[in-house]
Amino acid sequence: MHKIILAGENSILIYFGDKIDNSLPKNIANFANALKNQFSDVVIDLTPSYTSLLVSYDLSKASYFKFSADVQAILDGFEFSDSNQQSNLIHIPVYYGFETGLDLERLLAEKNISLDEFIQLHSSNEYLVHAIGFSPVFAFLGEVDIRIQAPRLATPRIKIPAGSVGIADSQTAVYPSDSSGGWNIIGRTLLDLSLDKPENLEKFKTGDRVQFYAITRNEYLKFGGEL
Amino acid sequence: MSFKVIKPGFLSTIQDYGRLCHGAYGMSQSGVMDEHAFSWANYLLENNFNNAVLEITFGGVELKALDDMLICVCGADLGFKINGQLAPIWRNIQIKKSDVLSWNLPIHGIRTYLAVKGGFETPVLYGSRSINLRENIGTKLAKNDVLSCQPSSGQLARFMVPQYLPNYDHDIVLRLLPSYQYDTFSDSQKILFFSQSYRVSQANDRTGCRLDGAPIAIKKDKMISEGMSYGSVEIATNGLPIILLKDAPTIGGYLKIGTVFSLDLAKLAQKQPNAKVKFELMNIHQAQKERLKFNQFFEIEPNS
Repeated sequence: MHKIILAGENSILIYFGDKIDNSLPKNIANFANALKNQFSDVVIDLTPSYTSLLVSYDLSKASYFKFSADVQAILDGFEFSDSNQQSNLIHIPVYYGFETGLDLERLLAEKNISLDEFIQLHSSNEYLVHAIGFSPVFAFLGEVDIRIQAPRLATPRIKIPAGSVGIADSQTAVYPSDSSGGWNIIGRTLLDLSLDKPENLEKFKTGDRVQFYAITRNEYLKFGGEL
Repeated sequence: MSFKVIKPGFLSTIQDYGRLCHGAYGMSQSGVMDEHAFSWANYLLENNFNNAVLEITFGGVELKALDDMLICVCGADLGFKINGQLAPIWRNIQIKKSDVLSWNLPIHGIRTYLAVKGGFETPVLYGSRSINLRENIGTKLAKNDVLSCQPSSGQLARFMVPQYLPNYDHDIVLRLLPSYQYDTFSDSQKILFFSQSYRVSQANDRTGCRLDGAPIAIKKDKMISEGMSYGSVEIATNGLPIILLKDAPTIGGYLKIGTVFSLDLAKLAQKQPNAKVKFELMNIHQAQKERLKFNQFFEIEPNS
């Protein structure tokens, strides 16, 4: 099942599966740790994503074939787990309102559901961090209930405010800082995920779990939320 | 204290070798666009390979020296002058307090590097001094900024041997490693890709370089997002290549036909829109051999 391919002059890509699977992110994270520990002087960087791990290495320590063979040997002996493993659970408060959820009103009409139902569907699910990318601290969370899935906007917005919570197909995410983007915006969190707090860099790791919970307009405003 | 910015230019940023171990956090590699010119600038000053430099794009820059310093300018010819007099590039130079350094407009190439003995001492952000505007890490140069570095003097002349000087006006061939989804492209798609001359488009910055040309017909354009290495070449929905560069996102979901050899990306970094670009295949052994030779010459230790 595992496959190693060439990614660049000093990098390889390891596939752990060919479709998105909830057991993969934690297993990939565990494997990445094992690899880093065993080859700390060779491995430069590790970039996990849904089903894969990009590994860059120091050319002066190993060639492509040598390194690939070493990685293959670790893969062969590695114990991957199917069960739910221990991982961090991060709670994120969200004000799901029409002022903060720029696409919320349209989505309710399209899906023909009430605001309460929508909030229930988005916040009752425990999501898994499948990947981090697009920008730092931007965690791709899956999977969104099919009843509230929505494709990306045809024309991305120039500016989405920091803390905005979005949906794109089966994924949901929080924009950590002001940015452009094409996700459907359904609310906003007060949680500061920006790199103004440098420790946020490690806020999410692939394999972590995330649970959203609804706060009222008053709570949102009381703690400094802007509309 | 060391330089005061009189004119910041179009796009001038402090860069070093980059932020090499932050992929898991979704943070780009960043760092200099032309590793060749950058490495020579530090080498001629007998600096560490990773010392921070000023990457000047297109020019329009004027700096005033606040100390005596040893400097070296390598890369594009942007009409570099000291106190209004044309000054040499690709060699170390002693400058004096109050000297004014200026870069006008591109003559050959578009990116040049100002290195100082000991490197610029701007803040280290997440393990590197490199500025990444897309990620809001640091800012580009602004009027009245002060760039700090140590005063320096007393080095013997060191310069690039003329026969090794790069010619930035030549058409370039980018050597491509058959990586990622290379095998999923058909022979006819590969023939179209390797036989044509593409042109650098207007959409060409530190994040990526989009090429114009005859589009490759693709059936499936998106896949599960995966880690993208420096130089990987996406074939976008419109069938045209995008070469991912230093400030590119860490993961993405377009099919990738291969990865351009890093030292050829240094040549691409000097190209303006409309420049001609071709691809040819390279094997991994040749790429590793050439890159290792480069790293050893410049004492580059990426894992240090």
